[in-house]
Amino acid sequence: MANVILRDIRKSFGAVDVIKGIDLSIEAGEFCVFVGPSGCGKSTLLRMIAGLDTQSSGQIEIGGRDVSGLEPSDRGIAMVFQSYALYPHLTVRENIGFGLALAKRPKAEIAERVGAAAEALQLTHLLDRKPKALSGGQRQRVAIGRAIVRDPKVFLFDEPLSNLDAALRAQMRLELTELHAKLGATMIYVTHDQVEAMTMADKIVVLNGGHIEQVGRPMDLYDRPATPFVAGFIGSPKMNLYTGEVARALGAGTYGIRPEHLLVDGTSGRWTARVRHVERLGADAILHLEAETPGPITARTSGDAPWKAGDQVWLTPMPGKEHLFP
Amino acid sequence: MTRRSPYPYWFFAPAAVIYTALFLLPTVAAFWFALTRWDLYTATFIGLDNFRQFLAEPFLISGMSNTLIYAVTTSGLKTVLGLLLAVLLTSGLYAQGFLRTVVFFPVLVSTIGVGLTFTALMHPTKGAINVALELVGIDGPGWLTNPTLALFSVALVDLWKGVGLATLIYIAGLASISPEYYEAARIDGATRRQMFWRVTVPLVRPATITVITLSLIGGLRSFDLIWAMTKGGPGFSSDVLASTIYKQYQAGFYGLSTAGNVILFLMIALIILPLTLWFNRREVDA
Repeated sequence: MANVILRDIRKSFGAVDVIKGIDLSIEAGEFCVFVGPSGCGKSTLLRMIAGLDTQSSGQIEIGGRDVSGLEPSDRGIAMVFQSYALYPHLTVRENIGFGLALAKRPKAEIAERVGAAAEALQLTHLLDRKPKALSGGQRQRVAIGRAIVRDPKVFLFDEPLSNLDAALRAQMRLELTELHAKLGATMIYVTHDQVEAMTMADKIVVLNGGHIEQVGRPMDLYDRPATPFVAGFIGSPKMNLYTGEVARALGAGTYGIRPEHLLVDGTSGRWTARVRHVERLGADAILHLEAETPGPITARTSGDAPWKAGDQVWLTPMPGKEHLFP
Repeated sequence: MTRRSPYPYWFFAPAAVIYTALFLLPTVAAFWFALTRWDLYTATFIGLDNFRQFLAEPFLISGMSNTLIYAVTTSGLKTVLGLLLAVLLTSGLYAQGFLRTVVFFPVLVSTIGVGLTFTALMHPTKGAINVALELVGIDGPGWLTNPTLALFSVALVDLWKGVGLATLIYIAGLASISPEYYEAARIDGATRRQMFWRVTVPLVRPATITVITLSLIGGLRSFDLIWAMTKGGPGFSSDVLASTIYKQYQAGFYGLSTAGNVILFLMIALIILPLTLWFNRREVDA
């Protein structure tokens, strides 16, 4: 368990700056999630922490030690890849013990550590199988097992759930969170999925265009987004954001209101709107509406709300839930 | 139970007709003519006499062992060198594209042209190779005139000509290995040597199977280069099955040489089929 400190990290590919000076402190034992859209630099940043890519400038410290110029294997990290990177010709046992075998550790020690990791991840009955005989979730666990046996100071995850179906992703989110609680290790996790970020993170780092938009706890980012980008990225369905007259009337550059913070009424409200489409999710229903002011808008109501396409309704933002950005 | 319509099978017909006319019929005909005394116009059935006569020839045993030595040597060297060259040519080397072309170029050159050129280069006294060796004080051997060297000299030329194809197949195989395997190995602390043996060699296995199979078949039925360089000599020292068969054709023993071809066909099948089955089983296990 170790802290990670990034000081003015920059990365350029030729004339293109992909990471534009990042300063960040991740506490020991923290579950930190880098989130952002494709191309924002989150994976590049993770790969620089791993030592798989070299930063153009800046310093990386792990556990108080400058690791900027060190090989990946000397940084005290372990990484779980998006594709899992399990060797197809090796069994689960050999995959988990691969790093220990490379380091020529005694066979008894390898067997003991692989056995312990397999038990922690409920893989014991699968140890003699090849990766192709495993489900996606089991492969994911093997990849985590390979990381665990290295006994790293920091775990790095590069979009590890993106190849799984929705149900398995939800299950693995829970398993990873429990694993973090059990190991108490520092974990840095990259995803483009804000649901993963919100549900798993102690700290979220929102990246956009190679720089940090905001760092904070999940609910801080949800309640107090610093920029319209963060406001739009965190939360599902995304926040309704408006520039123009609606924002100017309130003295702001951008006005935002989350769909779940709009009251929908059939008789009165601040804005009148026509229902274009209703998405019923069970407990909730998402209304897609067309309002004269402020324009196209989305609202979340209870699943049994009576509205249907073509209905005329009134919308009122909940007090204290409106967001104004300069 | 529904009856399947014959309609889709008509799409097989053109390929089936061509395959039958150009492969199946000649193969069946070869098996028949191998049992006859044949002068290209008339064929008289003589049972297994051709096979008895062919297998009784003293040079046949040396021809068979030469064929095996030649095939295993060229196939083994192409496999090893092809992989090493492919690794080198995918490592971000300077002028990598140009060097790939250089390695592949000999594949495009006519085999007879290569044979004649190397025959001149390997001339014991006037050949460029021995002249060059002489300049550094080495008395070069008779590459093609020494009976113990001739077959291996031709095999080396075969390697020069064919390693480009093996390299190309390996380059394609290496390109299909996800870089994440190497990155995972780096994080685990693998050295370059460990990465080669524990990641590259096992994961490039499909390419290795292709290279071994193709080069082994090519080596077993090799004829043109050997004929262009040594005509099976000196004596019968570099004769392989194919050149032995050709000599029988030249002498007008068509039935006898066709029996030789049937023996070569069966020999290749007996080596390649079990090998392919074994490779495929290992592939399934992997």
